Amino acid sequence: MSGSAKSKHPMEVEAVNLGFQIAPMIDVVFVIMLFFMVMAGAVKVERELKQQLPGVNVVSADNAPEMPDEITVGVEESGHVTLNEEELDPPDSKTMPNFVATMMRLKQEADGRKAKVLVTIQAEEQAKYERVIDVLNCLAKAQVSNVTFTVGEEQ
Amino acid sequence: MGGGGGGGENGEPEFQIAPMIDVLLTLLIFFMSITSAQVLKIDKDIQLPVAPDAKKKDEKNSINEAALNIRWEVAQQKAVVTFEDKKYPQMEELSTLLQSRKDRNPKYRVIIRGDKRLPALEVQKVMAVIGQAGIDDISFSALNQ
Repeated sequence: MSGSAKSKHPMEVEAVNLGFQIAPMIDVVFVIMLFFMVMAGAVKVERELKQQLPGVNVVSADNAPEMPDEITVGVEESGHVTLNEEELDPPDSKTMPNFVATMMRLKQEADGRKAKVLVTIQAEEQAKYERVIDVLNCLAKAQVSNVTFTVGEEQ
Repeated sequence: MGGGGGGGENGEPEFQIAPMIDVLLTLLIFFMSITSAQVLKIDKDIQLPVAPDAKKKDEKNSINEAALNIRWEVAQQKAVVTFEDKKYPQMEELSTLLQSRKDRNPKYRVIIRGDKRLPALEVQKVMAVIGQAGIDDISFSALNQ
């Protein structure tokens, strides 16, 4: 049937429809959107752990701070993290739940007395920087921002 | 854009293509913008550590920021400090440069982008240089996941 129609009206069939096609456009938009939706979930974002280096700010006599509660956190080469020489979590734990809980408790206690918590991270020279960041991350979780660093035993 | 309630001649609601395209394009633009805004611009040789509880970067303050990259050369077991695409084997030179920047801009701050395999000592050395330059506001760069 179509063959006979073709032979009768050849000009009508050859006229190609070049108009805008909505269906393929929607297909393409869907695919692009799915791609960006998946990418949005897996994207890695840079974050920052803010610290204040000690010994630069000049402290006037009027706003001299009170003596803070000093806590020493040791980071060993083997990955062990100690809180005042007491180990709370295994060396392979990145989240260190016991350490975080203890720090939160100490922070709350200090806040109740209106005192500050000063954490000194004492990392061994060959301790991994990644482990130091794990400790800083836990301190950020416990909302402890007053942190200083020492490396090696002589310091 | 669709016009009317989308009713056909027999009163049955029919599928409107125009509002659907509007919604699709809006969603597409939304996902495109959040993906492209978060693309990481760091030295690919540096494996950043992960810190999910770290704060998001304040983009408003990026004018006063300087990124200090500390790469870890595994073969040589050596740390390489780069600042603005230039290597600094001598820390004194870097300290002088940072000091001049700080003098010009009191709000100047430094972001340390250190490789997670670095020994803590190497990062401590860089922190000492930053401290010598009179910069007290620093932050450590990490990834969210």
